Amino acid sequence: MNKSQRKRALAIARRLLPPEDYERFLGININDTGFGFDQFGLEKETTILAMCVVQYIYKHYFRVLSDGIENVPLKGKAIIAANHSGVLPIDAAMVASDLIFKMDQPRILRSMVDNFMGFLPFVNTFFCRLGQVVGARRNFRDLLQSDEIVAVFPEGAKALGKRFTQRYQLYRFNVGFIELSLTHKAPIIPTAVIGAEEQAPLLLNIKPLARALGFPYFPITATFPWLGPIGIVPLPTQYHIHYGKPIRFFDEYPPETVKDPEKVRMLADQAQIIVQDMINNGLDARESVFGFQES
Amino acid sequence: MARRPEKLNVLITGASTSIGRHLVLHLAGDKKIGSILAVARHEKPYFFNDLPPDSFTYKTCDILKHRELNDLLYSRAFKNAKINTVVHLAFHSGVTRGQKVHQLNVKGTKTLLEKCIENGNIKKFIFKSSDVVYKLAPDNPVFLDENADLNFDPDADQWIKDRVDADMICRSLMDNKKMNIVILRMSNIIGRNIAGQLNAYFDSKPIFKTMGFNPLINLLHMKDVIQSIRLAILGRTCRGIYNIGGVDTAPITTIADLAGSRVMSIPEPMLPVVNWFQRKMQLTKYYYSVDKDRQKYTCLLDIAKAKKNLGYQPEGRVEF
Repeated sequence: MNKSQRKRALAIARRLLPPEDYERFLGININDTGFGFDQFGLEKETTILAMCVVQYIYKHYFRVLSDGIENVPLKGKAIIAANHSGVLPIDAAMVASDLIFKMDQPRILRSMVDNFMGFLPFVNTFFCRLGQVVGARRNFRDLLQSDEIVAVFPEGAKALGKRFTQRYQLYRFNVGFIELSLTHKAPIIPTAVIGAEEQAPLLLNIKPLARALGFPYFPITATFPWLGPIGIVPLPTQYHIHYGKPIRFFDEYPPETVKDPEKVRMLADQAQIIVQDMINNGLDARESVFGFQES
Repeated sequence: MARRPEKLNVLITGASTSIGRHLVLHLAGDKKIGSILAVARHEKPYFFNDLPPDSFTYKTCDILKHRELNDLLYSRAFKNAKINTVVHLAFHSGVTRGQKVHQLNVKGTKTLLEKCIENGNIKKFIFKSSDVVYKLAPDNPVFLDENADLNFDPDADQWIKDRVDADMICRSLMDNKKMNIVILRMSNIIGRNIAGQLNAYFDSKPIFKTMGFNPLINLLHMKDVIQSIRLAILGRTCRGIYNIGGVDTAPITTIADLAGSRVMSIPEPMLPVVNWFQRKMQLTKYYYSVDKDRQKYTCLLDIAKAKKNLGYQPEGRVEF
């Protein structure tokens, strides 16, 4: 966007957003390199415009509730490690929105998107302007070095294609985020997202078709493809996001630990157990999947 | 008594190019540089007329001709100047194709490099490469370091292939004990009178870009080009590959906007035809076929190594 487009974007946002939200979004800080973008392509005005739409989904569709937001640092590097599910990566968008809506100083969550996003016109640029980067280890490292807060889903993109019968059972965590946490001394915020696993109950993943199309999975859900494109729309489950106390493995383990794969594996398993416990506690505390009575 | 450091005497090929001209004029005023031997295929240009003859010599030489190159490297002027550093800038910067262009770009680099090693007195060879040697892909990280994959696409344009080949030739001889080889891979140099794809692109009226993509590009100011080459010359032990990037990074549309050009996004399959028409109508000197990936995918250089080893710090901001 150029200057006049930015002004126009903010004018639209002011009309669409409640005044307190608008003021809050204006308070988002980015590391502007001089042209209104940060070095990864994030643009504040695009993010604010996107939030005009996302706020409805966050507040009225998924009615997100969260606790433990005080565990997320107001500044400096951090890794949000959460469970991943729901066919479409809406869980990431809801966690990102939650940080913007709930934190005293709103922060933009940086996520790693799947490589195939890079091929897609418009989507590629849009994600980039929202601060999302392609899932390359190098990008993760650079974001942490720039003191950003980065989301990781250590189960991997394949967890989005988790079958309904496997809901809330974590796939084994990858170890990359542990290595980066140790190397860059970044605290890990274990995060449990409850509600996403029921938004699109996946019955079957047609792997050959997914491979042919270059997708990580090809889902057959309770609604897709039976209802056509409408079947992609997720069910209005209520989201509960729980942020746990920061895990600071680096206080105990020096950066050289990354050379010991067994120890790194052990730490990843520890992190997985913490997230799984948080999920189990969250499920016990949840009264209903859709939560319409509560709201 | 401490021994005075030996002055650096530099041979610059492609001295009549825009970078060559700026480099010669800059080094001529540098006290750490002893003498300069500027070499180009053309007769001495007017802008070198005011340089002092005791420290500056201009020679015409076609580096593709063995005899001329031999005569140069064993000439009295070369011996008197006690050349110990070579900066190789002789490269076709415009998108011109054909055997002659390939010969200068690749064979010229190879011949010069081999002759310099053979000469024995030359301690350093600096080759100005560019970021087009890197393979652009959607799954690339935002920042590419010196170890990133090179573009070995067999369908790539000759313009790119020549640059990759020349870069590889320098890289393959980097282990030799006689001479330090430095490759400076520079991002997009922007400025007046600089022949380059990006300059031609932003001078187009209007600018056509690939619909749905708006990658970040980094602009390098001539000041930083000269600074990096100077640091590579002065760094006595420096060798290896260095990425050189500038201060300014922004998406294509933002830069075009600042340059006062109108941008039109059109679907990718239409771009080759539109670009061909634009060139035929002399509305651009830009070749889409060379840059088609750059229009879609971000390519920013990680300059951490140059900062650490050369002391390079980009300063020049591009003025629009």
